[in-house]
Amino acid sequence: MANTKKYWKGIDELNETKSFQESKESEFSQSNSIESFLADDQLSESSTGRRDFLKFLGFSVAAATVAACEAPVIKAVPYVMKPENVTPGMPTWYASTYYDGASYASILVKTREARPIFIKGNKYKKDGKHFGITKGSVTPSIIASVLGVYDSERLKSPLKGGKKSSWGTVDKEISAAIQNANKVALISNTVISPSTIDAISELRSAVKGDLEHIQYDAISYSAIRKANELNFGKSFIPSYDFSKAKTIIGVNADFLSTWLMPTEFAAQYGETRNPESDSGWMSKHFQFESVMSVTGSNADYRAMTKPSEEEAVLKYILAGLRGMTGTIPSNLKKEADLAIKSLQEHGKESLVVCGTNNTGLQQLVNEINDQTGANKFTIDLYNELFMFQSEDEKMMNFVKGIESGKYDVVLFYNSNPVYSFPKDSLKKALKSKKVKVTVSLNSHSDETGSLCTYNCPDHHALESWADYRPKTSHYAIAQPTIRPLHDTASALESFLVWSGKVERGGKDSTVAYDKIKETFSNLSDADFKMVMHDSCVDLPQPMFEDTISFSKKNLEPMPTIGKGVEVIAYQKSAIGAGIHANNPWLHELPDPITKVTWDNYITMNPVEMRKAGYKTTYDQENGLSMAKVAVDGVSVTLPIYPLPGQAPGTVGIALGYGRGGNGEKIGKSAYQTAEYGGYEVSKNGKPKSIGANVFPMLSTDNNEFYYSNSGTLTKVDGEYIIAATQIHHTVMGRHSIVRETTKEIFDKKGKEAYNPAHTLQTLDDDLNHVEKPVSEFDIWDAHPVENVGHRWGMSIDLSSCIGCSNCLVACQSENNVPVVGKDEVRRGREMHWLRIDRYFASDEEAAVGTKKNKDSFSYDQAEIAALNPKVVHMPMMCQHCNHAPCETVCPVAATTHSNEGLNQMTYNRCIGTRYCSNNCPYKVRRFNWFNYPSYKKFTEINPAQDDLGRMVLNPDVTVRSRGVMEKCSFCVQRIQATKLKSKIDNKKVEDGSFSTACADVCPTNAIVVGDWNDIKSEIRTSSESDRSYQALEEVGIRPNVWYKVKVRNEQNNLLSKLQVEKKSHHGSNNKHH
Amino acid sequence: MQKEAAIREPLILGHKTYHDITEDVCRPIEDKAPKMWYILFGIALIVGLYGVGCILYLLGTGVGVWGLNKTIGWAWDITNFVWWVGIGHAGTLISAVLLLFRQKWRMAINRSAEAMTIFAVFMAGLFPLIHMGRLWVGYWVLPIPNQFGSLWVNFNSPLLWDVFAISTYLSVSLVFWYIGLIPDFATIRDRAKKPVAKKMYTILSFGWSGRAKHWNRFEMVSLVLAGLATPLVFSVHSIVSFDFATSVIPGWHTTIFPPYFVAGAVFSGFAMVQTLLLIMRKAMSLEAYIHTKHVEYMNIVIMVTGSIVGTAYITELFISWYSGVEYEAYAFLNRATGPYWWAYFAMMTCNVISPQLMWFRKLRRSLLFTFFISIVVNIGMWFERYVIIMTSLHRDYLPSSWSMHYPSPIDIGVYIGTIGLFFTFFLLFARFFPVLALNEIKSILKGSGQSYKESPDYHKNH
Repeated sequence: MANTKKYWKGIDELNETKSFQESKESEFSQSNSIESFLADDQLSESSTGRRDFLKFLGFSVAAATVAACEAPVIKAVPYVMKPENVTPGMPTWYASTYYDGASYASILVKTREARPIFIKGNKYKKDGKHFGITKGSVTPSIIASVLGVYDSERLKSPLKGGKKSSWGTVDKEISAAIQNANKVALISNTVISPSTIDAISELRSAVKGDLEHIQYDAISYSAIRKANELNFGKSFIPSYDFSKAKTIIGVNADFLSTWLMPTEFAAQYGETRNPESDSGWMSKHFQFESVMSVTGSNADYRAMTKPSEEEAVLKYILAGLRGMTGTIPSNLKKEADLAIKSLQEHGKESLVVCGTNNTGLQQLVNEINDQTGANKFTIDLYNELFMFQSEDEKMMNFVKGIESGKYDVVLFYNSNPVYSFPKDSLKKALKSKKVKVTVSLNSHSDETGSLCTYNCPDHHALESWADYRPKTSHYAIAQPTIRPLHDTASALESFLVWSGKVERGGKDSTVAYDKIKETFSNLSDADFKMVMHDSCVDLPQPMFEDTISFSKKNLEPMPTIGKGVEVIAYQKSAIGAGIHANNPWLHELPDPITKVTWDNYITMNPVEMRKAGYKTTYDQENGLSMAKVAVDGVSVTLPIYPLPGQAPGTVGIALGYGRGGNGEKIGKSAYQTAEYGGYEVSKNGKPKSIGANVFPMLSTDNNEFYYSNSGTLTKVDGEYIIAATQIHHTVMGRHSIVRETTKEIFDKKGKEAYNPAHTLQTLDDDLNHVEKPVSEFDIWDAHPVENVGHRWGMSIDLSSCIGCSNCLVACQSENNVPVVGKDEVRRGREMHWLRIDRYFASDEEAAVGTKKNKDSFSYDQAEIAALNPKVVHMPMMCQHCNHAPCETVCPVAATTHSNEGLNQMTYNRCIGTRYCSNNCPYKVRRFNWFNYPSYKKFTEINPAQDDLGRMVLNPDVTVRSRGVMEKCSFCVQRIQATKLKSKIDNKKVEDGSFSTACADVCPTNAIVVGDWNDIKSEIRTSSESDRSYQALEEVGIRPNVWYKVKVRNEQNNLLSKLQVEKKSHHGSNNKHH
Repeated sequence: MQKEAAIREPLILGHKTYHDITEDVCRPIEDKAPKMWYILFGIALIVGLYGVGCILYLLGTGVGVWGLNKTIGWAWDITNFVWWVGIGHAGTLISAVLLLFRQKWRMAINRSAEAMTIFAVFMAGLFPLIHMGRLWVGYWVLPIPNQFGSLWVNFNSPLLWDVFAISTYLSVSLVFWYIGLIPDFATIRDRAKKPVAKKMYTILSFGWSGRAKHWNRFEMVSLVLAGLATPLVFSVHSIVSFDFATSVIPGWHTTIFPPYFVAGAVFSGFAMVQTLLLIMRKAMSLEAYIHTKHVEYMNIVIMVTGSIVGTAYITELFISWYSGVEYEAYAFLNRATGPYWWAYFAMMTCNVISPQLMWFRKLRRSLLFTFFISIVVNIGMWFERYVIIMTSLHRDYLPSSWSMHYPSPIDIGVYIGTIGLFFTFFLLFARFFPVLALNEIKSILKGSGQSYKESPDYHKNH
């Protein structure tokens, strides 16, 4: 039986039916061979009909065309193994710390699928205390630094003689050179990392001879330390607390943006600028400065002060405090007298700071602060700032030392002195090859790096472990948020390797981590993890009872400024000293005051410029005049920019520009791009650098880097078209846009004085003329967002807004806003969703937005900013109008209103008529004029065109294509995420759980966002404040954004007359009816 | 045949017979084209093709090749659009409104004016298309059923009304024009000797046989279409003006716009008709049919509409002051005295002052002067649109966004290109189509012909 087992495929096969037999035969039919088929005569006769042929032809052409139209598919490769703690689509946040030698902040880094894409300040609190000393404040350059990770021109491996090498080779050679050297110099910016300092001492001990560590910061604060050494017996920088200062006096100190620790000061200052604060007081801020700075633009009183007058101002104030009368130039007397009065009134609750790097001046400041008592109140002498330890004198000696062949090996770590050292002397010294081995640990082959024998690139800060001790009372840790992208190595590790202590660890090296852990060896593992989690830990402040006391010393020499135009080298908030000169976001960030992008320029007061025959107006076709500034034989030729408020007799030029002019590879966006892509080429055949470098102009008198000097200004033929985002500077007395009042009026008078509702005339039931507020007129059906579900709203306090521009960069980073470059900005096509409108007051206005006299108001004069104007910064973005004019005019309904009050933009539906933009009263819509992510014009500058650069894009936000409109979405992706999270947690969306990118990074919390329908929310309260108004309320578009009246703590008689009079006028009107 | 008062100037000069009319109109079509035609056609074609090149570059690169910016979303593009639409208006007015009012002088000019309308609307329609950021999805403005999640157009948007207004206008004008052409094509067909031409005109003439029934239907259809087209004369430019009038931008948001735009359109349209016909009558020896009286009639229309436009300008200025609205007041102050004062000055001079000269009989009967003024008016009307669109946008509410507009070479290229294309079409029309409504003209020969008027018995002998 077993042998007869039979398998069949069907009943037919089993039964061997006839039909099965037949079909089996013909399974592979041979009846019609190919030959016979082809030989068949009938085949040629049965030709395909013409019609059929055409049909096939037509079909194939159509099919081929359709197939060719298919968009290229870029595949997203999913994780094969899901990494722990990474959920695709969900961000992971890391608490970390930022330090680049110039600024310091406790930050939060947002990563998506293991890519850092957004940086903001750490505003969270634990047990009522902030994480870190910066309380969540950041600066534009810190936010933008995330782009640096993906800079495709960072060095990708160690270099030897400019050629690619390996760590094995360079380590061997460098170790040998260092260990056998008689004299090694390590030039770095200030190192505040205890572990790195340790590693440097390890390295020192490995050197045969001696290692000299010179800390050199591009911007030096050595004078403060020196003055303190003289006055307090200790070289240190104390902690300043602006939040306790009722009188603030700044002398050429841009403390809100560039001076010392703006990340600390901006928030502190913001606390004192709220006219509605519980304490009831508001600081009174005097600023004596030459170039209008962010800080000066916020001052209650600002006096145009030349650098040569600083001494007089400080001495006059000091004399005034001591009950004597000094001498002072008459133009400064009014403000100085008021300042003295205010200082006397507030005593120790005051703070005087001076940004000038001159020991004598700093001594005067110390004396004033001692006189008022501020040294023991707003200044904490015991909590020392360890940053900015630049030793100017040592550095100058070092340069001389190189020339004399003193050093065998020179290491440059986070320092680019070839660019920033005055007089160009270091470059010559290095080029002369007196030093056998030079090593740069900088991330780029920059001005210094390109002259070095070896380049041993450090990780980007977001790739590496680091620890910092910025202050006596504070430790912080920076943790990596991405695995190193390139074959780079932590500098900390390099130092240890070269001292022969450890082996290279490769990409997943734990050397730095281990070293830091060792530094924290007194902590338990769990505690260390907690520190890492928090990114920082506060140390108990050692209690010294009055061990530091002030003693008066003879004043060191004051700066000597010769006759001629006084030239001030200042820092712009975005570019600073030029560390981020390759960052396109920062280049395209309009300067908070001039609104100029992508350039530095000579600033001069327009009143003076008109006299001297320079052009004071400009636009996309009309350039500014060129001028040459020469100081001590060093000259630069730059466009000359009309900056109101610039002290007459002075000009300012920003530092940090003119980098990479010799073809150094410092980053793709660091050069001027040509109109149709590629770079502009300078005479030496290298890409043209952006702006001009003024570091060579710095004075080194008194062995200090001094940032002002005297020089000559000469007109040069030619014009230069500047790329500014704002070419009109005043608000033309338009009260429904900007409202301003004084603290006095605000305290004493009601809303109708300083913030009257806009009224329209109408008839009441008895046919009498009555005035009713605009809100009572409506030709539309009310949008059903009030009291139903959510209604997202925003309030912006013009009093707190200091114009720092953090919000702008954060928005660009969060929303993938394209970078468009200088040429497109010139054409008025920047893409920023959020801009900060900066309005100068004109002579026709009593305050920004308030006409002095309505009847004699001259529009021509109103266009011209005053000599030393008041300034208002007004962040402006989509106002999400409930009766949005843009929505009604779109023919295809691509922009619509959500039932949560958002004005939504549907990119996919947009056909690009731009009608919406035309009809937007706020002009906040931005059109994609080109395909920014691929058009050749933007290859060099738009990160989205770079394989690495595009990793910074936020995957939650669509990258817009050519021909569609875009605008602020209130970070709708964040709203959605918050709503989903609340839903998962099964609770209502809590106030404060949602924030837009701009509000997230606002150091003064001027921007409040939330659900307006939540009657207990901060936004609701804020919007119902007496100070709240809506810009262009009378147009009847019902925005979801409120502004709060700017309050200045000043005496403005004209304004109070106008605002108080107006009130009585209204009153009489009412009586009349 | 209608009797006409003897003191009225004759509409057809000279001793024309029916045959003469046929000969005069058909001659340019049947003869070889003169050298001048080839030269003009060549120039127009080259300019037109240059414009096409600019448009292709625009479509390939992006709207950024124009001189627009974040503040000024429309400038030359929509200016040209409105200008061309406006020019088109004269044709419809002449053929429809004047038909209803039984103005016989229209017969000399209606054919060319209608052709001008159609070509001008072609040019006009081009701009809303190419000004779109994404032309390839431009069909979304049509309310067609779709599978995009049943997305529909936004009926609130004046731009959508434009789509309907312009497309209706174009189709009605085209049909009206073509219906009028049918009997004339038949005449040419009957005379044609070359087989290709004969075949073409046979197709074009739709089998017209000249039977009484055909004429009866022709008259009926013409009347019906005239009735349809008449409201369009007013609606199209009213709707175009809604693009601006319904907005919130000071200088745009003006209730006076619809009548003001219609008057302006007729004004510029007649000017363009003058420009074209004054050349054509000379080039094609049609002086007998289009003569001083026709020109005078048209100049009167220009004078009247020009005065309406002037009144509108002054009303606008008055209201801007009277309204007490800060933004409105500034918008008009800025127009007149701001950076674009020269455009406003050009507009005022060309459109307000120049038509007033037509009060002088001598001037309005001067052909040379008329030609000059017709060009001036068209320049003025271009500036009117530029002033309205651009100066309102460049300084609106927030001074921070105030901006200037500078046209790019592509802006200029596209505009010049459309003029080239327009003349290319018009020259082709003049070469191959009967430029006068010859069969209609014949109907007034005995009523308004000079010979018949001077000797009422003339027809008995001829």
